[in-house]
Amino acid sequence: MMRDEDVAQRRTALRALLARPLLTAESDPATLVLIRRHITELRDWLNRETGWRLQADAETARLFKTAPAGSDATYPARGRVGEPFGRRRYVVLCLALAVLERADAQTTLGRLAEEVLNAAAGPELAEAGFTFGLDHRAERSDLVAVVRALLDWGVLRKVAGDEDAYLSATGDVLYDVRRPVLAALLTGARGPSTVRAALFEERLSELAAESVPDTDDLRNQAMRRRLTRRLLEDPVVYYDDLDDAERGYLVSQRHAITRRIEEATGLLPEIRAEGIAMVDPDDELTDVRMPEQRTDGHVTLLVAEHLATRGEVSLEELHAFVRRAAERHVPYWRKGVTAPGAEEELLAVALGKLTALRLVEILPGAPSRVRGRPAIARYAIEEPTIRERGQASR
Amino acid sequence: MVTDLAQAAHAVPQPFAHLSAPNALLYRRVLRTFARAKERFIVHLRPEDVAAELRRGSLEQQPTQTDEQLAQALEKLVEWGNLHADADTGRVTSVEDFHRKRFLFQLTAAGQAAEQAIAFYEEAIGRRGALQSVALGDIAEQLQSLKALAETADPDPGKTHLLLLTLAERFSSLADNAQAFMASLRRALDFSDGDVEGFVAYKERLIDYINRFIADLANSGARIAALLAELEDRDHHRLLALAARREAADAVPEGADAAAAYARAEAAASDSWENRWRGLKDWFVSRDAGRPSQARLLRQAAVTAIKQLIDAVGLLNERRSGRSDRSADFRALARWFAEAPDDAAAHRLWRVAFGLSPARHLTVTAETVAEWRQEDLAPATPWQKAPPVRISPQLRRTGSYERRGKPNGVRDRSAARRLLAEQAEREAAETAAARARLCTDGPARLSELDVLDPKAFRLFLGLLGDALSARFPGESEVKVVTGDGSMEVRLSQVAGGGQVEIRTEDGVLTGPEHLIEITDLMAAS
Repeated sequence: MMRDEDVAQRRTALRALLARPLLTAESDPATLVLIRRHITELRDWLNRETGWRLQADAETARLFKTAPAGSDATYPARGRVGEPFGRRRYVVLCLALAVLERADAQTTLGRLAEEVLNAAAGPELAEAGFTFGLDHRAERSDLVAVVRALLDWGVLRKVAGDEDAYLSATGDVLYDVRRPVLAALLTGARGPSTVRAALFEERLSELAAESVPDTDDLRNQAMRRRLTRRLLEDPVVYYDDLDDAERGYLVSQRHAITRRIEEATGLLPEIRAEGIAMVDPDDELTDVRMPEQRTDGHVTLLVAEHLATRGEVSLEELHAFVRRAAERHVPYWRKGVTAPGAEEELLAVALGKLTALRLVEILPGAPSRVRGRPAIARYAIEEPTIRERGQASR
Repeated sequence: MVTDLAQAAHAVPQPFAHLSAPNALLYRRVLRTFARAKERFIVHLRPEDVAAELRRGSLEQQPTQTDEQLAQALEKLVEWGNLHADADTGRVTSVEDFHRKRFLFQLTAAGQAAEQAIAFYEEAIGRRGALQSVALGDIAEQLQSLKALAETADPDPGKTHLLLLTLAERFSSLADNAQAFMASLRRALDFSDGDVEGFVAYKERLIDYINRFIADLANSGARIAALLAELEDRDHHRLLALAARREAADAVPEGADAAAAYARAEAAASDSWENRWRGLKDWFVSRDAGRPSQARLLRQAAVTAIKQLIDAVGLLNERRSGRSDRSADFRALARWFAEAPDDAAAHRLWRVAFGLSPARHLTVTAETVAEWRQEDLAPATPWQKAPPVRISPQLRRTGSYERRGKPNGVRDRSAARRLLAEQAEREAAETAAARARLCTDGPARLSELDVLDPKAFRLFLGLLGDALSARFPGESEVKVVTGDGSMEVRLSQVAGGGQVEIRTEDGVLTGPEHLIEITDLMAAS
């Protein structure tokens, strides 16, 4: 009996870490307790299967996930209302961290702002065409968004004051700086300042690079870890996206690998001819939901169904489809969906979600075309699927 | 010469002049010799004694001086008033000695005071700031003894005074040291000079030391606070007064008014003791949350210091283990983000550098899983041929799991609002009708009221209640306007009217007969 409970607790802890690799006692005390209780097993498992480091103390747990340098741009940092960070916010975030790294045990928002301004005025950033002042409200809210992210992660802890007061230029906010969390922010073995490459793509791949093992055993282990990571992180892993060695390994080892993931996380393998998806029967372990309620979720679902049976479609046709859908569903959807041009925004959101879930790809070229990727077929409405299954069994 | 030296002593003393004179080092050494001799209770020194002492001390590489230099130095010091020269009248054993001007030297009061001041200064400057757990123990001991004294009917003034003196002395040294410690912590943490080895060795001793002190402070501090409270319960003022009185007894009588001088001295001493007591108490007992005790502040400072030390050591270790400077890392990243070709590239960099992105997975329903299992799909089944995910038809049709009767159900509240408005309107109409129904054309007997519907009856009961409660005892007639100012009720008892019955749809109300007149003021206007 006890063992079942242990397994369940370990799963909860691991899922929490996968969803939120940096956990603090403030944000989620119960999970932190679970992680600490099973730290040895979790650490062993993560090290063996993924090579990821896990750190946990009474205040913080951090899973040092690594990501490939690949082309997936669907994991942005997000603000409080889910808006993705823009370039300026990223820069301000890094400058704030650089400043905090040298700061005393406490600081205020006003002081942080001042030091970020100083740091932003450096010649290197100016050369890159980056300017930052605090004259505009937009810039101030960028700073506040960054600070709020730091608060969410636990790098800063608020002592007194309110960011809104700072936004309206009437007050300041006092924070404790928590150096242990600050120290655990960057992942990967290599400090960016040691990378000398000058081109963006080179920098990225050097940062993501891992040492190449020199024996067959170690190479196999590295490959297994790489595949396990992708299965743990990505909605779908297509064989087409892997190189020959990886594909061969995954095809031959898929049962062993997916079984281990299933045991540890409760995710179920959906093994198909084109690839593998570790799917979540609890519908928890994701930042992009599908299906989802409300207008955006419904549009996404309808577009998925549409693409599931049509394969490749032009953007124009999809716009028309969304327009028709909006007219049909106007009683259920939010206001303004039938306004001219509204379909573009609706479709953009839907394609964003579907791209993030690896269900569609937008083909380059003009006019743009959208292609459903194989796993989108899991959203086909049933009638045609049943007919097709009938054909298949004949 | 004897007279010269004697006269020099009478001039205004300049006991610090030697510090800025050439040869200051020699003067300092000479004076220290005298001070040390005094510690051994030796008052007079001959020049040869001084020379011998200096030689003893100069085993280190201190410059040795000739007898001539020493004689000159002594002379100078007499001139500045640090030393005092007396003719040496002791027996001599050689002719040369007999003909030499011989003196015995001793420290003057000014010289000694200056020496003490300099020693104190050097000590204060050179102090490393020690935390004294021994002092804590001593203070607790002294307080314990004081408590025992306080419990006796007639405490011994001598003992009390002595205890209080020791207590004050221990306490002031503890406080001074704590102050110095706080200051030295700041110096210790600022290890920017880069003496890494030294720092690492130092930090371990320091952490041990602070840990021990914190434990002592926590234990003894609580005990001391408790003892202080107990002493205050046992009238500590009495003890302080005893000490003050004893000190005042030493006061020098000033002129004829000895009694007043004594009283003044006693008041001053008493004030000083009370002040010290308050200091002691503030140290160990927090007055309130806003003003924590010194001991607590010290404990916090020590704990913070340990944390900072550990951080600093971590930082050092990282630097030593070849880990890059994190601040530089973040600055490099800032530049990369600034140079990223577009937002998509920035998002990729974000994910790779920080690894904070959440995992992302598709969902599945239990039904679908069951279906897959049932069909026992081969791994080579394409997605096209596998059963799709079952999605709630409700969600597929409406974009929501909830069942909604009318299209405009959730977001659009106009229907509900309309319903509410209708209801309010209906109620208003009913009330108006009830009022119209209740209004009487002039006074009417209760018994004449017809069958009332529940609405009108409830309104009527309200009116009746208003009227009856406004009627003073003994009165038979009353006129009131309802609380909302909409109706006027006139009510008068009918003598000998007997009991009447008002029939309503809900039942029958009985009561004494009244004349009632109800006017709808709203309708009238």
